[in-house]
Amino acid sequence: MILKTPEKNTHQYGKVEGTGYQSPEVWSKVTGKAVYGIDLAMPGMLHGKILRSPHPHARIKKVDTTAAKALPGVRAVLTGAELENRPFGIAVEDELPLAVDSVRYIGDEVAAVAAVDLRTAERAIKAIKVEYEELPAVYDPSEALQVGAPQLHDNFPGNVAWQREMERGSSDAVFAGADLVVEENFTIPAINATYLEPIACVAVDDPYTGITLHTALQSPDAVRNIVAKALNYPLSKVNINGPVMGGGFGGRVYGNLKVYILSALLAINSGSPVKIQLTREEEFTAGRPMIAAAIKMKMAVKSDGTILGREADIITDNGAYSGQAPWVSKTLSERNDSVYRIPSIKTRVRLAYTNKIPTGQYRAYGNQAANFAAESLIDMAAKKLGLDPLEMRLKNCVREGDITVHGLKIGKCGLSECLQAAAREIGWDHKKTGRGYGLSVAIHANGSLVFDKKFRGASALARLELDGRVTLFSGEQDYGQGTHAAFAQIAARALDVNPSQVTVESKETKTAPFSTGALAMRQTTVGGKAIQLAAEDLREKIFKAAAELAGEPVTMGNGVLYSITGQNLELAEIAYHYHNTTSGLSLTGEGKFVPEESDYDESGYGNISVAYSYAAHAVEVEVDKTTGALTINRLVAAHDSGRIVNHLTSRGQVYGGVAQGIGMSCFEGYLFDEGRVANASLVDYKIPTALDLPEIKPLFIEVEDPAGPYGSKGLGEIVMVPVLGAVANAAADAAGVWITDLPLTAEKIYQAMAGWECEI
Amino acid sequence: MSYLIASNLDEVISSLRDGSGKARVVAGATDLYLQDLPYGLVDLSALPETTVIEEKDGFVKLGAAVTHTAAASSPLVLSRARALAEGCETIGSLQIRNIGTIGGNVVNAAPAADAAVALIGLGAEAVIIDIEGNRRQESVENLYWAYNRSVVDSTREVMLSLQFKPCLGGEGSAFTRFAARRALALPMVNASARVKLENGLVKEARLVAAPVNPAPTRLLKTEELIIGRSINEETISMVEKAAAEEVEVRDSLLRCSARYRLHLVGVLVSRALKTAADRALDPGKAGE
Repeated sequence: MILKTPEKNTHQYGKVEGTGYQSPEVWSKVTGKAVYGIDLAMPGMLHGKILRSPHPHARIKKVDTTAAKALPGVRAVLTGAELENRPFGIAVEDELPLAVDSVRYIGDEVAAVAAVDLRTAERAIKAIKVEYEELPAVYDPSEALQVGAPQLHDNFPGNVAWQREMERGSSDAVFAGADLVVEENFTIPAINATYLEPIACVAVDDPYTGITLHTALQSPDAVRNIVAKALNYPLSKVNINGPVMGGGFGGRVYGNLKVYILSALLAINSGSPVKIQLTREEEFTAGRPMIAAAIKMKMAVKSDGTILGREADIITDNGAYSGQAPWVSKTLSERNDSVYRIPSIKTRVRLAYTNKIPTGQYRAYGNQAANFAAESLIDMAAKKLGLDPLEMRLKNCVREGDITVHGLKIGKCGLSECLQAAAREIGWDHKKTGRGYGLSVAIHANGSLVFDKKFRGASALARLELDGRVTLFSGEQDYGQGTHAAFAQIAARALDVNPSQVTVESKETKTAPFSTGALAMRQTTVGGKAIQLAAEDLREKIFKAAAELAGEPVTMGNGVLYSITGQNLELAEIAYHYHNTTSGLSLTGEGKFVPEESDYDESGYGNISVAYSYAAHAVEVEVDKTTGALTINRLVAAHDSGRIVNHLTSRGQVYGGVAQGIGMSCFEGYLFDEGRVANASLVDYKIPTALDLPEIKPLFIEVEDPAGPYGSKGLGEIVMVPVLGAVANAAADAAGVWITDLPLTAEKIYQAMAGWECEI
Repeated sequence: MSYLIASNLDEVISSLRDGSGKARVVAGATDLYLQDLPYGLVDLSALPETTVIEEKDGFVKLGAAVTHTAAASSPLVLSRARALAEGCETIGSLQIRNIGTIGGNVVNAAPAADAAVALIGLGAEAVIIDIEGNRRQESVENLYWAYNRSVVDSTREVMLSLQFKPCLGGEGSAFTRFAARRALALPMVNASARVKLENGLVKEARLVAAPVNPAPTRLLKTEELIIGRSINEETISMVEKAAAEEVEVRDSLLRCSARYRLHLVGVLVSRALKTAADRALDPGKAGE
């Protein structure tokens, strides 16, 4: 029996502005009905487990799987030597599905097993005998770059995974003529995305359809390409089918490629579905945290606070394999330069291989790590010049019409308004005694071209169903950030229907339109624009079909079409009319958004994105002078993300991003002991609890930007960016000393205040 | 594994006896869940006497299965033994505090168990019965055998209750802790103090700090140093120094450096002492 319930229609009808539209899928999550990757089970499914290297660097002399294969219940045992083992990778192809000759970090994949249950798989893993010859290892990235350091990869001499030097303007002259030069060294540890659900994948191999991976990914299409290549399967024989995702935060853009490839290989070799699920410890020791960075930065300024130039020498810690680290290093090394009018920059960045966990990415792609350094330097300079940090930022921040030092074209921009609003709200002009105050600003691209210069946009389909509802087909993934709710609202606005009439379908790569993925803060701006275009195309087709049905021109309002003589036509009627007259086709709108104007040259100079979002954060803190304990009282987050599509989910983005920013500022970071992750659990890797977070005040400065759908832009990654600089500046203001090594723990603050030599 | 919710003490004793070393007592089991459970478990939290909180015969008595939440919110504990309420209200998370017990906190024998640090500061004794039916009382500070290991053998002994003298006129207690975050974090240092003042001067004092040894540690030299003194700025800074000098700690990559931990020992012990003294001078502050 289905109980009748009156349909709630409390949302602003078909409007983008000011709505609190809640996607119905939220309810499946809060009532526990949503099916996540870790929930998946299939008939006859086996459990996979991975044998990992106990050594940071060693030669594999011998792998003996005899005892493991003989165990009852074991269905497949794979080693590197037995596999075709095609190299794969994201930015650089430096990985193999399983190690063949050598292992390069504690956790490196050596063998994989599939068995009837997890316990048997674990026993089989223990039964595999591996003889290693230990090799010298290197853990510190600057040591790794030195002559004579142990080498990780033959084809990357000097342990340089990637490097870049760039100079725009004439830096030496600028620094020679500056009134003040400030210089400091900053360090930022590797950061784990700490999504709640560990990565899980069920691989099914079928002779007809090929491999299907049931796993939740932010960029399933990108992973599909890599998996197909690694398996040597035709692309159309690889499908990724996403269950509900338990958080991503950038960590699931590519997720854990080893897990997908090994579960597929185990499924192929055993003939049964195979599930591999990482433990939390594996997430910490063999996942893909964001790179650690050491940033040496200096800035030249005039005595009135005008920024003349900036130089940076950056070393990023790649770990044993590259993942996305080159791209993260690139964003880290340049995006912050474009938030101010900086006439000249000179930057060197070197990404070094070390015998540690390989790296990936995290929300904001390194922009937040550089924000810590760059925004600390602004306050250091302001202090030395006796200037107000707010005035210094307002003097230098980019404005509409600017072209930045890297060639970014600043379109609609409310950055200075964000700064003023955040400062006003925190009480910048009425500071309380005994408190510290800090500001920071950020720019972040909306879908940058670093992934693929040739593929820059997004596409979508909008289909009118026979019941008059609308289905959107998009490759853009929603993992809680509210993308699909926003898409429903955008389409609803174009079609003049209620967003609850719109469903988004994005589950399977074999049916959904291709998407670059939920990354680079591109979904609302780029994906959403494609949705708008698809919905508008559908609207035109509906009009045409309706006019044909009515025999006269039509107009539309509140989801109903009216002919000029007053006939009412329901959407379902029109859908049926088209269905009947085409023998079963559906009215389908196509949307393709191809941003033409974005490009960059070989030096990386150019307008790399269709639009940019802006933010300014203001923070008030207190420091306990006897212990160094830092309390963040309030944080104001002012954002220009264009017209806000959905205030409810936007506030959620701000709360979450600020929490993660505070985590990275004050709590988080990998600790290593001779290459071994020392804090490989949520007990020891501390993320903030609700009690550790301040009152968070989101402010939206809604400067409509025609680049995005109905003037809207992205608000995902950028939220985290300014938190780091603002917290660091506020802590320095309160403590009277600068901490340049994240996280800002009580111990470091106390040590600096007490003038101790740094001991940890 | 078997799990028995015992309804009386005899059932507990006979189950342990039948288990001959393979059955053990459990109360909240919040720490036990983290370990392998090869045992038969005998849950004593349904025994009426283990959840009592009362003042009787000149003692505050708490059953061993009193939860952290119950202890932290008990008007009796708040007014007579504020240190225990403060220790209990900071343990783990709300969910842990609703299930975890003060007896378990002691028998689990973690070096910086918050309730145990407070209990030792208060001078608490534990009432223990073994499977032969022998009852004994031992002071909580003597119940530590080794790192994470209690003198109480849960396969043949049952801690029934904890008791200590109430903080009455001229007496006060306090507990302090410092951790990397405000919930779900072991303390870098925690401390407790109980002090008795007469004419504004210290007559008796108990000062405890952890984790500086496998067991929460009485700071006997510092205690002695403050006898006969008033709690003023001079005494407090003297305690800060003396407390840090009295203990030895090691560097920890995960927690903090030894030097910082020593500094915290001084700060937290003196803070606990200062608050306990304030409460002793003004009984109205005992419940604040």
